Amino acid sequence: MLDQAQITYLLRRTEYVARSARVTALMAMPTLAAAIDDILAVPVPPALPTQIDHTDTTDQWSQYVFTQQWWFDLMAFDSPRPIQEKMTFFWHGHFTSEWWKINDTLSMTTQNQLYRVNALGNFATLAQAMALQPAMLRYLDNADNTKSSPNQNFARELMELFLLGVGNYSEDDVVAAARAWTGHTISGSTGTYAHLFKSANHDTGSKTFLGQTGNWDGPDIITIILNTKSQIVARFIVGELWSYFATPVGPQPLALDVIAAAFVMSGWDIKGAVKAILLLPEFYLPATMQGLVRTPVDWIVAVMALTGYRGAKVNPQWYTDGMGQTPFVPPNVSGWHPNGAWINTSSMGARADFAGDIVNQLRNDAAYNWDTLIVNATVANAVGSVATLFALGSLSATTLAGMTSYLVAERGASDRNDWWQATNLLQMALLAPEMHLA
Amino acid sequence: MTFSNRYNREISASDARALLSVRDDSISTSNGLNRRRFLQMIGLGLGGGALLGNVMPSFLPHDWREAFGAGPLGPTDGVLVIVGMYGGNDGLNTVVPYADPKYQAYRSNIAIPQDQLHIIDANIGLHPNLSFVKSMYDQQQVAIVRGLGYPNPDYSHFNSMAYWMSGRPNGVASSGWIGRWMDGMGSRADLYTVATIGSSVPLHLVGQSTKGTAIPADGFNFGGSLETTEERMYAGIRGYSSASAGRGPWHDALAGATRGTIDLAQKLAPVFTPPITTDDLAKSLTVAARLINADVGLRVLDASLDPFDTHDGEPSAHGVKMQQLDDGIRAFFATLDPKFAGRVTLMTFSEFGRTPWSNASSGTDHGGPAPHFVIGANVQGGLYGQQPSLTKAGADLARWDRDSFTTDFRTMYATMIEGLLGGGSSTVLGGTFATIPLFRATPVDPGPTTTTVPGPTTIVPVTTPGTTPGTTPGGSAPGFGDPGGTDLVSIVPTRLLDTRSGMGMAMGMGMGMGAPIGAASSISLTIAGANGIPADAVAAVLNVTAVGATSASYLTVWPTGVDRPGTSSLNVRGGDVVPNLVIAKLGMGGSVDIYNNAGTVHCVVDIVGFFQTEAASRFTSLAPSRILDTRSGLGAPGGPVGQNSTIDVTVAGIAGVGSDADTVVLNVTVTQPTGEGYVTVWPNGAPMPTASNLNFVPGQTVPNLVIAKLGNGKVSIYNSSGATHLIADVLGSFRAGSGSRLTSLSPARLLDTRTDGGSSNPVSQTPIALSVVGRGGVPAVGVTAVVLNVTATDGTRDGYVTVYPTGQDAPTASNLNTSAGQTRANLVIAKVGSDGAVAMYNSAGAIHLLADVVGYFTG
Repeated sequence: MLDQAQITYLLRRTEYVARSARVTALMAMPTLAAAIDDILAVPVPPALPTQIDHTDTTDQWSQYVFTQQWWFDLMAFDSPRPIQEKMTFFWHGHFTSEWWKINDTLSMTTQNQLYRVNALGNFATLAQAMALQPAMLRYLDNADNTKSSPNQNFARELMELFLLGVGNYSEDDVVAAARAWTGHTISGSTGTYAHLFKSANHDTGSKTFLGQTGNWDGPDIITIILNTKSQIVARFIVGELWSYFATPVGPQPLALDVIAAAFVMSGWDIKGAVKAILLLPEFYLPATMQGLVRTPVDWIVAVMALTGYRGAKVNPQWYTDGMGQTPFVPPNVSGWHPNGAWINTSSMGARADFAGDIVNQLRNDAAYNWDTLIVNATVANAVGSVATLFALGSLSATTLAGMTSYLVAERGASDRNDWWQATNLLQMALLAPEMHLA
Repeated sequence: MTFSNRYNREISASDARALLSVRDDSISTSNGLNRRRFLQMIGLGLGGGALLGNVMPSFLPHDWREAFGAGPLGPTDGVLVIVGMYGGNDGLNTVVPYADPKYQAYRSNIAIPQDQLHIIDANIGLHPNLSFVKSMYDQQQVAIVRGLGYPNPDYSHFNSMAYWMSGRPNGVASSGWIGRWMDGMGSRADLYTVATIGSSVPLHLVGQSTKGTAIPADGFNFGGSLETTEERMYAGIRGYSSASAGRGPWHDALAGATRGTIDLAQKLAPVFTPPITTDDLAKSLTVAARLINADVGLRVLDASLDPFDTHDGEPSAHGVKMQQLDDGIRAFFATLDPKFAGRVTLMTFSEFGRTPWSNASSGTDHGGPAPHFVIGANVQGGLYGQQPSLTKAGADLARWDRDSFTTDFRTMYATMIEGLLGGGSSTVLGGTFATIPLFRATPVDPGPTTTTVPGPTTIVPVTTPGTTPGTTPGGSAPGFGDPGGTDLVSIVPTRLLDTRSGMGMAMGMGMGMGAPIGAASSISLTIAGANGIPADAVAAVLNVTAVGATSASYLTVWPTGVDRPGTSSLNVRGGDVVPNLVIAKLGMGGSVDIYNNAGTVHCVVDIVGFFQTEAASRFTSLAPSRILDTRSGLGAPGGPVGQNSTIDVTVAGIAGVGSDADTVVLNVTVTQPTGEGYVTVWPNGAPMPTASNLNFVPGQTVPNLVIAKLGNGKVSIYNSSGATHLIADVLGSFRAGSGSRLTSLSPARLLDTRTDGGSSNPVSQTPIALSVVGRGGVPAVGVTAVVLNVTATDGTRDGYVTVYPTGQDAPTASNLNTSAGQTRANLVIAKVGSDGAVAMYNSAGAIHLLADVVGYFTG
């Protein structure tokens, strides 16, 4: 018999929220490993929606808004195995590109779909493919990298941020890698960008990269890195996965070294590495379970999933900037930072604004029977109802006291209003630490 | 946009903390990593997410600081506005060396033609879009600091930005320079001390125990409502952080941040009205200026502009950024209330400049040094620092060569801390850096400074904070001798000089109107034969107070008519009010000279006693003994002394003080004051004089030596404002007939641990013995006590220094309270041990000590 608290936690971390049907389904599994296999049983994703009109070169804004809402809906509702979207977002934050520099819907959604198709697939395949897509070629300027005028931007970040980290290569390696990537550029224009190899711009001379000498082409660079620095790459990626699903604080489990070795041995099978992490006993330690903050996107997705409100209704794209995290718009090539990055008065204020708008929608829609749930219920039952609505689990003493004291004060006030009881208590639930934690 | 977006404006607090908390050995044992791997990960940890574990048990305490501390700026508090230009601003196309042929040669596709520039001089012009900056430059309110960089430059955005933000080039970027400055404010730092306009707090505002606040440019919707029901909800949400929930630190941090959001929104709601219609930096800096105008106590504001990473299409892209920068600065100064203008300074920074050579895409790549702007009415406009050379050993730079930095960026930080913010730059920066003399004055309230001073064209080396190295030991001038010693006549304190009003100043020195003492200047003050002081007085006991110093400086008081000694009587940081007791031998005409080293400073002198060859009282020195401590109820009722209150303290007949003593030497300390005020000590029963012995600001611990006449065997101690604890240690007494006689000396330096023996030997917790007899004019025999002015500087920790006779245990008394990174001085009368030396003990950390002898007692 599986532990329901563990399964609930596992689903919060891998599927944004623990949907009750999913809890029931996984509780029927014989082992934790079987439950994790089910979580990881991602389908071949459907093609990009036809509403994304990449040929519309005049109104990128509408395309941007549609794409934002489409992805939020995938995360909150439309993916049968939401870890596929969690991993798509992971790769988006790792192999970054940014919408407004690219300013081409097709390039960005094509990259997004690459990350989705390979979300739990093969890391080497993914790394090679992302390098040759127009979004990346343009984001890190390799499109301008020519034999006569080398541009090191992509070659440097490929090693510094994507695969290796500073210190595992020299400036000479950067120069050699940049030479190898010369000639990999783009053809076309908005709506038709494609990878183009211009041999005239390619440096065909001999290059020595990480000690290997030859007439290397760009993809050879990735191959050499993965072959000669495999454990470093693997430990880097596995460590990032641990931070993403478990916690970015505290010492990382020693077992990650072993998982990294297995990641290499498997020929870069991402799903195996994720499964191994989710099976680690350290994943279920209290410090891990209390050690991850929902990113703004995770929190919005949770609110949408729990209220049933889709992107077109709640317009998440109005709020994401203020919270500090907008899909397709990473702050820089290094992506987003966890936990403490989201905890400040400014971004928490933006979450509060979103929460306020959500509860007003719920009220206007008469989404629930407020009289039964809150207005005519005892204080304890009313608080319990909102905690259940937003899947807060058992409330901490401080949250319970805060909600209780509010409701008692509201009911005792001379200017009391029954509507306020509902909207304010719901907003308080959405702003409780239990809701902000993953 | 056609250029890259590879800037990093958010290096999170958690990453920074994680980096801070992981030691090399913990990595090597737990994750099989060596130091090299650790250093790699720093780059990744900042750039690529938190790879490193956090082993600090109690992280995040500062993410939920309380907001109730908001209050107006202190009268001399400076405000720094930081504008980050992320992505690496092209300094060569911002401050353009148009006359350098290499500029044109290297940048044929992006060089800005001379006729489009705002010409500064025969070599330099500003980008065409910086018209407002140029107009302020013409008013001499813009300092352009050139060649800013650091050794071993790193061309990664993340590493270089981390170095700039942390102030620790090639080090571990665990905290930011402003954050550490805020750490030093201790409990005085709150949500209204340091703020960024935006949604995340950058590393430079993250300290080791404190963190800046993020204020959205569009203001707060949530939290600012005045509806009663909303207020009831806010009260409930505030309750989430009423105590630790027991669910781990992140739970508590989230509760605290939400509470902080409410507190801030309620306080700052007026700032966002009327709505701001501009965008980008102009909007952020308009908010910043309004926040300053709201006077909630903000000392540092931060705004950002990006991206500057102009790998291609630079002329148009960089032009847009320059326009946004200029618009932002214009909006800021247009919004700023003039009453704050005299103490608000704006500075820019960026993680690096760009390559001198442009590339084929009409762009530039990651480079080395760059110039930055420092702007404000308190800034002395002009060019500072050397322009980096565009050649190397006389030859052209190659395609990937970068120019070399000429000015360490930490000198700019030190300048902001020393000249504007206050506090010790050496502590914040982990080393002592010169400052750049670009401030006209330290912050003043009110009003802008509109006088214009021609700006220097080259950087001027500046002394490090603290006293200058002094003369060699034993260099005291003899003369004006009274070999038999003198007796003290103590009087009710009387003011002799106040340069603010001109009182006591000689004709031509500002008599009747007042004028500060200029830099490297001195004034004379006649003491004997005036103001009721007899003409045969040979030395005076003075309480000297420095007020309104415009920069870090020191004062020296010495007998008129002899060469100025290399000693100091008191040290002052910019803006401080610092008093110190001075026992000064009188020179020609019964006068003393008072010298000020740097900037300008006002000086107030009160006389509390004088020495005559034959007169009333002789000195008995005592081992220091505490006679008053309101914290414990010793000598007075327990509890702080309230505002405008006086306590009476009995001194005669206790702690070795004879019942017939008429004067005592006390070291009086204020601690934990809640207000800003002063303390006066005078004879019980006499009218309270208009003189102060100690000046203090909230939270500060300040000691000063006091020589006080007794009335009815008691002294009265008055506190002007706030509530404060008072401590007094008695060091000696004077009485008629028997006892020691003072011989005053022209000051001579006996100790400087910074340079003595040719090396730096800071004092730790092992006491040092300082030989005093036979040195500096002190006789070899017959000396019972010495009068020293002791200066402590460059301390690594807060603590105290005690001076006591060798051969005894250190008493429970302090002569000098020290503060990390600051320079403090106090007069000390110390009994001499049997070996002719005094012991000096430092309670914490390491500190440099300087001692100047000004007199001795015999008999």
